[in-house]
Amino acid sequence: MAVIKKSLVWICYLLGLLALPQFFDSVLAISIFNQMAIAIVFALSYNMLLGQGGMLSFGHAVYFGLGGFLAVHALVMIEFEILSFSIIWIPLVGGFIGLLAALFIGTFSTHKAGTVFAMISLGIGELIAASSLIFVSFFGGEAGISGDRTFGPSFFGIEWFQNLEIYYLAVAWVFIATLFMYFFTLTPAGKMANAVRDNPERAEFIGYSARRVRYITFCAAGFFAGVAGGLFALNYEFITEENLNAATSGRVLLSAYIGGLGYFIGPIIGAVVLTLMNSLLSNYSDLWMLYLGIMFLLTVLFLPRGFAGFIMMHQMVWAQGKIKSLVLPYLLTGVPSFIFVIASVGLIELSHTDEAEFNYLGLNFDSTTAIDFILISIAVLAALFCIRKSLPQLRAAWESANEISDDDEKEAQS
Amino acid sequence: MLEVFIFATLNGLVTGLLLFMLASGLTLIFSMMGVLNFAHASFYMLGAYFAYSISLHFGFWTGLIFAPIIVGVLGALVERYGLRRVHQHGHVAELVFTFGLAFLIEEAVQFFWGADTKNYQSPDLLDFPLFTLFGQEFPAYRGFMIGISITIFISLYYVLTKSRIGIIIQAALTHPHTVSNLGHNVPLIFMGVFGVGTALAGVAGVMAGPVLTTFPGMAVVLGSIVFVIVVIGGLGSLAGAFIASILIGLLQSYAIASDVGMPDLLNLLGIEFSRDHPFTDLWTLTLPQIAPILPFLLLVLVLIFRPTGLMGKREQ
Amino acid sequence: MSVLSLHDVTKNFGETEIIRGVSLNIERGEKHAIIGPNGAGKSTLFHLISGLYNVTGGSIKFKDKEIQNKKPYEISRLGLARSFQVTNIFARLNVFENVRCSLLWSSGYKYSFWHLLGRQKELNEKTLEVLEQIGLQDKKLIPAGELAYAHQRALELGIAIASGAEVIMLDEPVAGMSLTEAESAVELIHRITEGKTLIMVEHDMNIVFDVADRISVLVYGEVIACDKPENIRANTHVQEAYLGEVVTDA
Repeated sequence: MAVIKKSLVWICYLLGLLALPQFFDSVLAISIFNQMAIAIVFALSYNMLLGQGGMLSFGHAVYFGLGGFLAVHALVMIEFEILSFSIIWIPLVGGFIGLLAALFIGTFSTHKAGTVFAMISLGIGELIAASSLIFVSFFGGEAGISGDRTFGPSFFGIEWFQNLEIYYLAVAWVFIATLFMYFFTLTPAGKMANAVRDNPERAEFIGYSARRVRYITFCAAGFFAGVAGGLFALNYEFITEENLNAATSGRVLLSAYIGGLGYFIGPIIGAVVLTLMNSLLSNYSDLWMLYLGIMFLLTVLFLPRGFAGFIMMHQMVWAQGKIKSLVLPYLLTGVPSFIFVIASVGLIELSHTDEAEFNYLGLNFDSTTAIDFILISIAVLAALFCIRKSLPQLRAAWESANEISDDDEKEAQS
Repeated sequence: MLEVFIFATLNGLVTGLLLFMLASGLTLIFSMMGVLNFAHASFYMLGAYFAYSISLHFGFWTGLIFAPIIVGVLGALVERYGLRRVHQHGHVAELVFTFGLAFLIEEAVQFFWGADTKNYQSPDLLDFPLFTLFGQEFPAYRGFMIGISITIFISLYYVLTKSRIGIIIQAALTHPHTVSNLGHNVPLIFMGVFGVGTALAGVAGVMAGPVLTTFPGMAVVLGSIVFVIVVIGGLGSLAGAFIASILIGLLQSYAIASDVGMPDLLNLLGIEFSRDHPFTDLWTLTLPQIAPILPFLLLVLVLIFRPTGLMGKREQ
Repeated sequence: MSVLSLHDVTKNFGETEIIRGVSLNIERGEKHAIIGPNGAGKSTLFHLISGLYNVTGGSIKFKDKEIQNKKPYEISRLGLARSFQVTNIFARLNVFENVRCSLLWSSGYKYSFWHLLGRQKELNEKTLEVLEQIGLQDKKLIPAGELAYAHQRALELGIAIASGAEVIMLDEPVAGMSLTEAESAVELIHRITEGKTLIMVEHDMNIVFDVADRISVLVYGEVIACDKPENIRANTHVQEAYLGEVVTDA
């Protein structure tokens, strides 16, 4: 039964991915979906390191970038007929390079987890990003290198001119990559990665070299990051030093963390959210990165288990059928919170705008006089006040919803 | 040749002392919390920006006094309401928090001041050459930077080792529970140390702003190097941080000043490669080119061969 | 036949001598207790044998192989398992996974990333068996970090014995337990060490005399006596070390 239920989840995932373009078929939408696909694979690969292996890396973009660079070079070689294979295998080329790089770098960076690992990853990341600007012939300098994916053997008549075609290819790769990364967590290597994360000392006493376990996890993560890099190459036909650097490494850390490190689905959520913010929000505001930063910091402070963690927190309440009791309390805190966010964003945008008249949510505000600032500030403060007043009742409702009933408690004690 | 060497040394010293100003605060904070404050260079940047804004209305010297204070207060608040909260979630969460903070500060700076480079001027009072050697001038402002740095370090040394509060701080760094049991307000001490550490970074920013340019990317430029220094010097060791700071300051300065490169080496060996050789980038590599990445190379080498750094004490 | 032997093992930390020449012979199938006042070096001895520390001098032989200075995982693979005084479990894994991980190496899986654990019938059955032995089969899906203390100690034991090691070292297995909890724990220890060699560090004399075939007394890093329980009881040196004076027979 459990097997059928689990397979159902995967089938829904695949069908959902395939069906998306039916609902959103604009050029922009397809482009965003492609970005999401790349981000999902990249974030999942990052979580192999951090969420499952306990290794905080500030240089994961190296494997992504190197995979991407070699993928673009492969495209160029296909174009000039030095090589000939269908481009559907390009992500595998990226993965292969990511794996190779990880095999090498992992030999000296996986001795310890923790701060030493983080610092080595930072150093390597900076080193390679900086080198990429020096070795211009391979990395193309500041301009990067570009390729063309429409060459090479066609795939059942498809020549890959359209982004939609690339989308379906990406879906195939995302699905396969997700499946394999998920399977990894169910294998001896994957479980021992968790064990080493929790207690590297004890892991050694049950027969496992913590170093070896970390090395394997590291290489697997490098492989899948390279696959993401290959997908990037196919989608954009272009790659630069930016895709290897610390900012890209930082972004994937952000997306995995916001989504939730402790859950397999977390990075998927984080990747989707970040892609949406990056592509949609940036059209409405120059300040989207500021909002991202604030959101990230708030997540670290108040939702350390990310969005996925927040959802999963309700697992027991759901199982006990008490979820209804939380609806009203959440509304009472949620509505003021929503208003608080909207008003704060409005205030920030109003202070930042160059125009005298500022249109926000259908209303016109005057940025030259103080009155509108004051009005919105009052809204912000009022919302904050309501939030504070409503928190105790939310807390109380949460506690009572989480109470184990007497019968269950007796059972648990036996 | 000699003049190049002397000026490179002097400039390297200026850079090294500046780096130490950042590294010392970072080391103190690491000793205290076991976490590398990713946002440390961001406070440096804030110091420069605050000083710039203050200097527009009240002059450089007022900025020099008040900007670090503002930065220190901000740092203390961050410790009290941010870091302390995250501490219970473990080291990874702390590192990630400071990382997010660095990101946020960079965006906030752009929000409040704009993304352009600010025209933060060094004071007119110091706008003269301190001395002229072999026809090259050494600006008094740089001499001033060296002077202030050394003064601060000496005072810090005396406060930490000779004063009562300094001894309490040193004890609290390694044995917070014991010190707390003795009746001292350890959380307050922690907040204070964090505040002073960030204020130090702020001072560095105030001084470096006119020289290294004040722009939103200035934290990133120095941030990584400061980590390298702290790690190479040995996490938790002030002496190590000092040696590493000067070392790296000088190393970079010499590398940039010298014009030596692979072509010279190849010439020496009598080898020559054509322009079209696939590895031509490697054969034409010069020292000034790789100067920015030398610290990272050193970092990786040290971490591989001597993970505790030059004089490291605190092993995770 | 001696399964574990120590020859003149010494351990210094800097200038301080913690273990000063310990020689011991543990027979196969023996239940051997190590007792001694606090600070005698009992845990250090355990750490030396199990590979956490390197010796400063001397040798340790396990099944005629020298194991001093080997890595913990190498020693563990040879068939020597240990538990810890301070509970040392995998907090975020559930109870079932804690035990299953402990079975992985001895079941031959090594670093496999192609076996799906859910499908490994024999492995999962063995895991359930161990869980039943330690009485935690009803708690198998609970994250180990959320167990009550006594159950965590039971899990601690479970992790140690799961791999089927022939020599089991238990470091203060009943530390922090109430009387009733300790009684069940001792019963558990009897059960799971049947037919195996047991080396146990323990402070509770009742338990020691109940379980042990022989007792070694460690004082200031030296074994001052190694004998059957009744002889240890009567040993004047031991009395002095523990009580500060010789007990005239009552």
